Amino acid sequence: MASKESLDHGRTDSYRVATIGPIKDDNRTADGQYKTRRKPPAKKRKAGDLDDLKQELDIDFHKVTPEELYQRFQTHPENGLSHAKAKENLERDGPNALTPPKQTPEWVKFCKNLFGGFALLLWIGAILCFIAYGIQASTVEEPADDNLYLGIVLAAVVIVTGIFSYYQESKSSKIMESFKNMVPQFATVIREGEKLTLRAEDLVLGDIVEVKFGDRIPADIRIIEARGFKVDNSSLTGESEPQSRGAEFTHENPLETKNLAFFSTNAVEGTAKGVVICCGDNTVMGRIAGLASGLDTGETPIAKEIHHFIHLITGVAVFLGVTFFIIAFILGYHWLDAVIFLIGIIVANVPEGLLATVTVCLTLTAKRMASKNCLVKNLEAVETLGSTSTICSDKTGTLTQNRMTVAHMWFDNQIIEADTTEDQSGVQYDRTSPGFKALAKIATLCNRAEFKGGQDGVPILKKEVAGDASEAALLKCMELALGDVLSIRKRNKKVCEIPFNSTNKYQVSVHESDDPSDPRHLLVMKGAPERILERCSTIFIGGKEKVLDEEMKEAFNNAYLELGGLGERVLGFCDLQLPSDKYPIGYKFNTDDPNFPLDNLRFVGLMSMIDPPRAAVPDAVAKCRSAGIKVIMVTGDHPITAKAIAKSVGIISEGNETVEDIAARLNIPVSEVNPREAKAAVVHGTELRELNSDQLDEILKYHTEIVFARTSPQQKLIIVEGCQRLGAIVAVTGDGVNDSPALKKADIGVAMGIAGSDVSKQAADMILLDDNFASIVTGVEEGRLIFDNLKKSIAYTLTSNIPEISPFLAFILCDIPLPLGTVTILCIDLGTDMVPAIALAYETAEADIMKRPPRNPFCDKLVNERLISMAYGQIGMIQAAAGFFVYFVIMAENGFLPMHLFGIRKQWDSKAINDLTDSYGQEWTYRDRKALEFTCHTAFFVSIVVVQWADLIICKTRRNSIIHQGMRNWALNFGLIFETALAAFLSYTPGMDKGLRMYPLKFVWWLPAIPFMLSIFIYDEIRRFYLRRNPGGWLEQETYY
Amino acid sequence: MSRNFRDREEFQMDTKPSQRTGSQKFRYFFYNGDSGEILGRTPESWGKILIFYTIFYAVLAALFAVCMVTFMQHFINPRVPRLQQEYSVIGTSPGLGFRPLPEDVRSTLIWYKGTGYESYKYWEDQLIDFLSVYKKKGQTAGAGQNIYNCDFTNLPPPGKVCDVDIRRLDPCIDENHFSFHKSSPCIFLKLNRIYGWRPEFYEGVNDLPSDMPLDLQMHIKNLTTYNPNYGNMVWVSCQGETPADKENIGPISYLPFPGFPGYFYPYENAEGYLSPLVAIHLQRPRTGILINIECRAWARNIKYDRRERLGVVHFELMIQ
Repeated sequence: MASKESLDHGRTDSYRVATIGPIKDDNRTADGQYKTRRKPPAKKRKAGDLDDLKQELDIDFHKVTPEELYQRFQTHPENGLSHAKAKENLERDGPNALTPPKQTPEWVKFCKNLFGGFALLLWIGAILCFIAYGIQASTVEEPADDNLYLGIVLAAVVIVTGIFSYYQESKSSKIMESFKNMVPQFATVIREGEKLTLRAEDLVLGDIVEVKFGDRIPADIRIIEARGFKVDNSSLTGESEPQSRGAEFTHENPLETKNLAFFSTNAVEGTAKGVVICCGDNTVMGRIAGLASGLDTGETPIAKEIHHFIHLITGVAVFLGVTFFIIAFILGYHWLDAVIFLIGIIVANVPEGLLATVTVCLTLTAKRMASKNCLVKNLEAVETLGSTSTICSDKTGTLTQNRMTVAHMWFDNQIIEADTTEDQSGVQYDRTSPGFKALAKIATLCNRAEFKGGQDGVPILKKEVAGDASEAALLKCMELALGDVLSIRKRNKKVCEIPFNSTNKYQVSVHESDDPSDPRHLLVMKGAPERILERCSTIFIGGKEKVLDEEMKEAFNNAYLELGGLGERVLGFCDLQLPSDKYPIGYKFNTDDPNFPLDNLRFVGLMSMIDPPRAAVPDAVAKCRSAGIKVIMVTGDHPITAKAIAKSVGIISEGNETVEDIAARLNIPVSEVNPREAKAAVVHGTELRELNSDQLDEILKYHTEIVFARTSPQQKLIIVEGCQRLGAIVAVTGDGVNDSPALKKADIGVAMGIAGSDVSKQAADMILLDDNFASIVTGVEEGRLIFDNLKKSIAYTLTSNIPEISPFLAFILCDIPLPLGTVTILCIDLGTDMVPAIALAYETAEADIMKRPPRNPFCDKLVNERLISMAYGQIGMIQAAAGFFVYFVIMAENGFLPMHLFGIRKQWDSKAINDLTDSYGQEWTYRDRKALEFTCHTAFFVSIVVVQWADLIICKTRRNSIIHQGMRNWALNFGLIFETALAAFLSYTPGMDKGLRMYPLKFVWWLPAIPFMLSIFIYDEIRRFYLRRNPGGWLEQETYY
Repeated sequence: MSRNFRDREEFQMDTKPSQRTGSQKFRYFFYNGDSGEILGRTPESWGKILIFYTIFYAVLAALFAVCMVTFMQHFINPRVPRLQQEYSVIGTSPGLGFRPLPEDVRSTLIWYKGTGYESYKYWEDQLIDFLSVYKKKGQTAGAGQNIYNCDFTNLPPPGKVCDVDIRRLDPCIDENHFSFHKSSPCIFLKLNRIYGWRPEFYEGVNDLPSDMPLDLQMHIKNLTTYNPNYGNMVWVSCQGETPADKENIGPISYLPFPGFPGYFYPYENAEGYLSPLVAIHLQRPRTGILINIECRAWARNIKYDRRERLGVVHFELMIQ
């Protein structure tokens, strides 16, 4: 939570916050000047500005007379603005575009990478090195370069890893950049009487713009002229029905009044002309976008885990470092030596390469997800889906195809199922019966929808249609059943038409017959079924016209109820052959005062439409459920439709009842049903409004299958917050601008790549490129896999910390020559361990990860004490033993038997002593001793590589035997070879003795680590065998990470 | 995780663990009265994990011990190093060592006040201690009977060692306080022992390297003309490092010879082996100033590199 204010707003209705303010404002300054000005984009939007925001939209543009409006903007309805004025306005207000959300400056991002995580600890190490060198340089004539050298290496390591993570980060954010530069929009503008086509960004206040169907509204406009103009406000308000717009002022609320159309909504029908009244960030859309960017999202779960882990490791490093600093003092070491110990312990403790490894692993997963249509904007969000426990899914477009399709028809007194699948592989029906022919004719003719041009190759169902969604559905259905609808319409010339309106609830047209011998006109009508039935006296069944008696009405009612119960939108169809004597060819039909019969028509049938679920969705929902993820449907649609879709996709599973279902079954009032008995719940938006947060919590807690219907978009935010209050990690899908606060608030917001608005894409963490819910399942699977694999990767990397730290401790406590140097530690952390650790990201899942519940974010940590116990306490110790064995072997072979080494550190490290005696009386010069010591470092390093082979193989699995898992991860196999080759390269390349102080090893010195390598492998196989044999046993509780 | 699934009701939401304040958490960490946990575990759990780790580490220690013992028994001879000369890191080019050593192991400065006994007592004690093995060789176990009277023509048989007679080093003997009291201290040099190493002697005067100090060359010429066998020595020369040091160092005498007799080599870790010594007697070093001295060993197979400190030893002398 950024502040209290934003919290308050987060809880209220999102667009209302942005639109309705408590204080009325005439939008003028004291001297009467118009005051809406675009805020400079650079200005930081603080919580306090939100109030400001609210006031400004309390606009009166829709209330004032057009003349006053023109005067205010110094514009003219026919000629528009002058070019000079437009230029002036543009300079004053800036371009008509949304200010992108405040970006963290690049250098801040860079510094975060340079000083975040372990970097700070390493910087301290580097600075200590420089200080130690500085002191040595000022006190000793010939200072050893070691400290300077190490300081430079440490600084370089930090800088390089910093640059690397910065590069990774900027690369993933670049993917988003490509989204921002989408196809530029153009708008038709009248300036100085000329029609111009300008980029939408160049619009200014007062411009007169023309909009036609199919366009996107380029700014907030007040309509001054309209012809059958309808807009789709769904991205703004969630209402999916297109709404008509005209010049008249109908409502105080700017969002309700008919004479305003808003930026980035779509015109679906008709044309209009309007005055631009708000631009860019001042538009309603701009305000909501601003609100969403004001919401604080908090850390992603994986970021929390990584921070937890960094704190853990840093804590251990600082604790050990300081402890040994003090111990060194007590043991009487020079303070400079103690500082050098401190540096060594820090370097050994910090897994320098690990954060880069994590970044690479996440990037790899992000790439893999992108190839499966999940584009991840924020790298850390890769894992979030994996830990998601609740998905709040939008219905339209995500679960469904977002395409009204004819699902059922009722004629000849039977319900026929139409094919709604995406690929038309479903049922076929008889297209030759007279009943169907009559119905098809009405559906074809009494229909204003048309295919848009230039779509010849496109499958019929995917063609774009100009017109209303249900008419489009009929058009497509008829095109599939009859073929070329356009030519049928041409042959049956339309004579007159009464369009659909909300009082009549029907639509009528009269057509000439395509049969030249038949001079009669055909009247066709469609509309709300009950209204249509009222106007009919006969019914067409089985090719015969029958009287519409009670029995037939009963049959009609049953069909109507059945189809309605499926959540489908039902339309009734009827027709009438007009007698040619009364209505000859050329008869003047009057639509305003109908001079033709609209009663006693012939009822033909019903057709019902639905936005059918996507084919892959039921399967995906089932997968989510078996993965323990609760799928909640949140939709603006009608509860019955929502419930029907929920049932058909499995969000409400078969046999589960809602309270209402139980009441209906037991025939008791709803209030008497115990809500706990019902597993499913359909909650209406109005109900939700009445609930307080405890009641909402109860619903979310006790019902496993929930559908929220008729929710206002802002209620989405409340639902998300409710789930989060219960401890769930929530994913939200959405496409509209209104969804963007919920998307932002959610732990992971998923926007739709095709249908989604820009604002929603900006607020989201992930984008489904195919708008398909099933892609989320992929995301969940990948997220869970990467969490498991990161555990393995970290376990692998941390294990080598023990053989890195223990030489230092032995060096200090036992006074032996140093067995492993800082440079070799860096070679392990940043060299040999890197590729294998990354390769673990490619590991396949051990078991079906979609069959277990999501992880509990409070207990299932990425790095837990069991992982540390395994890595540090067990495997790491075996590795350290291997390292020390090699060390003692080499020392003994060269003359220093193990017992001789204890206590000679001081003489060993003294340059002044040129004749140190070994166990055989040989005397060693300083240079030869150091060569021997560095040979030991190299051998210790090589033996760590050898034991890491076994560690890598055991880290592949956490429960299964390696025999099950196999060695099919080729990246990992490559990693094994790579680390070995790198170790050999570092040891045998000429010049390495000067550069990295790595000396060539005798081949046999690779071997002493092998018994330890084998024992790691055997120990862990036995441990996992026991784990499998005794699930939940003590060993699992203590060692299963 | 899967084990939890069965117990949990489907879709049961995970709830946050009870919130405790920091100090409460801390107290509960030490002792949690509800569950009887001490430091996060119940006594029973502590017991189990301790037993587990005890066994684990015992087995690991046993494994390590088995490996160590096997290696030591099969590959390591306590008398002969497994790797020698070029096969070992020690190589084939011995360095030089000097005595007495300063108290601080990191320093190579021999500093004392020419007049005060207290001041040079440390150095004298150091040398007495160093030379005690040479003095008491008859008393050290097994050493006495191994002593062989070596000569250039009379090399010691295997297992016997050559004698070093420190009385021949006069005036660099303890009775004379190693001449420290006269501000003309004796510094002892010895060649590092390398098992099995044999020096390759310069063959005749013409074989001597050109960078060898002329006085040493002259000395060798004189010696070899007297007895060609005397050429089989590892020669030693000392000089000041800088021109100023060369001036300050004054005349040097090498006792008994400016070199280590060849019959001491090879060193084969024989019981009672004594490294040959050269005492350098700085006869009139300038006092009150620090003198850098570099001593170098000469043989055909002794490499020399001043920066790498190969074949040389460096120390500083300061007499006040």
